[in-house]
Amino acid sequence: MPEPAAPTTKTQITVMVADDNDVAQRLCRRVLEKAGYNVLIAVDGLQAVEIALSHRPAMILMDVAMPGIDGIEAMKRIKAAIPNQPIVIASAHSMASDRERFLAAGADDILSKPFRLADLVAIVARLTAGK
Amino acid sequence: MKPNRTRGLVRRATPIFAIAAVIALQAGLGLEPVLVFPLYLLIVLLTAFYSSRLDSLFCAVLAAIGVAAPSLLAGGSADLAVPLLLGAVLLVVAVAVHEVVGRIRNEAVSAERRAAELAGSEERLRITVEAAQVGLALVGGTGGWLLVNERLCVILGRSRAELLHLTLSDVTSEHDRSAITEALSMLRMGDILRWEAELHQVRGDGSRVPVEIAIAAVADHPGGEQVLLVQETDVSARKRIEGLRDGLVAVRHTIVSAATWEQAAPQLLGGLCAHLDWDLAQFWAVDTDLQALRLRQAWHREGAAFEEFHNQSRRLSIASGEGLLGRVWLSGIPAAQEDMSVATDYDRAAVALQAGLRSAIALPVITGGSVIGVIEMLTHEPRMIEHDLVTMLSTAGGEIGNFIRRAETAQALRRSEADHRAIFERSPIGIARISSEGELLEANPALLMMLDHDFQVMRATSWPDLLRAYDQAAARARFSPLLAGISEGKSVQVRAGTGGGKWLWLQLTATSIPDSSGRPEHVLVMVEDVTLVREAQDRLGEALESQRSANATLEKLDRTKTEFLSIVSHEFRTALTGIQGFSELIRDGGLEPDEVRAYGGYIFNDADRVNRLIGDMLDLDRMESGRMSIRTADVDINEVLSDSIARAGSSPSVDFKADLDPRLPIVVGDRDRLVQVVSNLVNNAVKYSPDGGTVTLSSRSEGDFALVSVIDTGVGIPPDEIGHVFERFRRVRSGAAQSIPGTGLGLTIVKQIVEMHGGKIWVESAVGHGSAFHFTLPLAAENVSPLQRRHA
Repeated sequence: MPEPAAPTTKTQITVMVADDNDVAQRLCRRVLEKAGYNVLIAVDGLQAVEIALSHRPAMILMDVAMPGIDGIEAMKRIKAAIPNQPIVIASAHSMASDRERFLAAGADDILSKPFRLADLVAIVARLTAGK
Repeated sequence: MKPNRTRGLVRRATPIFAIAAVIALQAGLGLEPVLVFPLYLLIVLLTAFYSSRLDSLFCAVLAAIGVAAPSLLAGGSADLAVPLLLGAVLLVVAVAVHEVVGRIRNEAVSAERRAAELAGSEERLRITVEAAQVGLALVGGTGGWLLVNERLCVILGRSRAELLHLTLSDVTSEHDRSAITEALSMLRMGDILRWEAELHQVRGDGSRVPVEIAIAAVADHPGGEQVLLVQETDVSARKRIEGLRDGLVAVRHTIVSAATWEQAAPQLLGGLCAHLDWDLAQFWAVDTDLQALRLRQAWHREGAAFEEFHNQSRRLSIASGEGLLGRVWLSGIPAAQEDMSVATDYDRAAVALQAGLRSAIALPVITGGSVIGVIEMLTHEPRMIEHDLVTMLSTAGGEIGNFIRRAETAQALRRSEADHRAIFERSPIGIARISSEGELLEANPALLMMLDHDFQVMRATSWPDLLRAYDQAAARARFSPLLAGISEGKSVQVRAGTGGGKWLWLQLTATSIPDSSGRPEHVLVMVEDVTLVREAQDRLGEALESQRSANATLEKLDRTKTEFLSIVSHEFRTALTGIQGFSELIRDGGLEPDEVRAYGGYIFNDADRVNRLIGDMLDLDRMESGRMSIRTADVDINEVLSDSIARAGSSPSVDFKADLDPRLPIVVGDRDRLVQVVSNLVNNAVKYSPDGGTVTLSSRSEGDFALVSVIDTGVGIPPDEIGHVFERFRRVRSGAAQSIPGTGLGLTIVKQIVEMHGGKIWVESAVGHGSAFHFTLPLAAENVSPLQRRHA
């Protein structure tokens, strides 16, 4: 259920969540909006690139296993266009080799699924600090 | 001469003067004739005695004239008768006396002459006997020497005086003594008159001399004792030359008739000894490894005790130049030890002397200019070595050497030939000998047996085929053809049919045997049946290949397992993300009741999904590991399809359509599993038809199979994904299908179940037009109609 950019006026900081799983979308939106962020949702990699370039979110929470181009490829394209765009890879791929792979691909941080809600809020806060 | 004639004249003249004196006396005294008649008679008688007949008659005539003359001159015829009678008497007396005296005188002369002749003949005999170049002698009936000539003394090496105390037997060698005794006996008895023989006599110094002997009975010897004339000739020179000649002949004869040196050696050594009169012979061979002479063969006269000498010889190794044998080896010319009782370098002098051996000669056995051995001969007496013996031995040594070399070469050849023949006949490898034109000349039993042909068939058909196959195989391997030239000895493997119809792999290895010009004269081809090897190789290759593929499968499995773990953990964590997150929200409270209800719904769905995931994974694992068995029973597939439509009928957006073949026979299968297959496909069809559409279920019979299809009009499967739809966790995610939930294991399980039933599953799809999943199931063996079945 794609929910493209739905800007709200209450918050200044916009965060994008790219995830093909609707449960994950709902959870993140619920938690981050509660924490005072404006949340944009992308349901696959191409949409993620598109929204990132058009809306310039303060940070991006990127799933990996998505239809079309995956989260890694999307991150590379975004970083190519906006080198300092903070991107956190939020993946259920949480083996050690996966973490290294994501960091090597340019991720600013990694959030393993499933995650504690506090961790989600903390990592988003840290990467959006000063914005 | 003159005194003789004078004496004759005197003798002849004396009666005439006597008669003249008587006439004068008669005339002077005028005596009567009767008175002077006795004087006349005396003169006539004496003349008749001592003078010739003519003289006697002349005297008698004169005397008669003397008697008658006075009477005649006186004239008176009466007185004439008496003087005439007296004259006649004188004449008759002269003639008669002369006759008688002549006869007596003749007899005396002949007797005298005979005596003189006899004396002359005995002298001549004596001279002849002495001067004869043969030994002559007279012996008594028992063989005692009566008379011997000088030559015989020389022959026998004894003085005349010594001989006269001996008998013929005493000087004859022990060996020949009985023959002599017997001969003497026969001559004595008069059984034979003459006996001849060749035998050995013993000289004064003990040496033996070969003689030709003839003994003849002498007919009438005064004294009545039987006397035999003995004639002896020393034939040692002739014997020696004959011995040399015969020895060489014997050597050559042995060489010609013997095949090997071992065979020839005893005969050769024995022959040399017999003909050259030696007691013992040894052959010493040059041992090239030891660089020494070693005793190889020995021979000695029968009955002699030379074993110790041979034994000692066997223990010796004689170096070049050492002792008699070493010197001969070194110099290559014969040498002798004429008497080893005097100072000598002879190596076995002590044991030789102990064995009664006194003299030795050694000759080199030479071939190709080098000494390969030495023959040594020994005898019990000191022996002067003559030059011709040395020459003869040199010749013999050369011939023996050549023979040994020839015999060894021949033996090696024979052995090699025999070896080759044995190899050819008994080899387990087939061997063919072919001409330079490729014609089969010879095939060994192994080859004929291998190819199960007789030789004729082999030559006519099988071999040419084989040859062609060889050349083709050789060409592939870039070898030269079989008959092109000297083969490199490389092997090629060809396929060949046997007479029994089997096919063999044969390995052919050709070896050209070139003639002097280098062209192959004939070719030997080794043929090995490598069928088993090839098959084993092929099997090994297959085994290696399957091992490789098994390894690849294992590697793939390993990768798949890792991948699987990664995917499974991803799926679980994804599901757990919602469960954990929303349950944390609920736990922390502060939610609206609607929110709680909605979040509880998410949690439930994800938990349910995790549960299904676990169930599917366990199913799949059981199927893949073969631990899931299907309970087979008769299943009416149409009923399964109808039920499935009925259950899914609640779906709001999709229309269901059934296209079932009512005549479809029942299938054999596990109904519950087949229901799982159909419902899985139907669920997929519904899920991937998000905008509604039609899902069609059809069944029909295709040969021995029931064909079932589930066709939707949904999103379809992109071409790059259609090949992977049956793989685990390969959910179609692209485009419109991206948010469709599922475990990702459904189709994998479906495929497993269909295949477990002996069927197949496949998919046709076009993006935007929908997908068609088809699967087959084998029909029940009894081909009864489903209706009959159903109503049975």
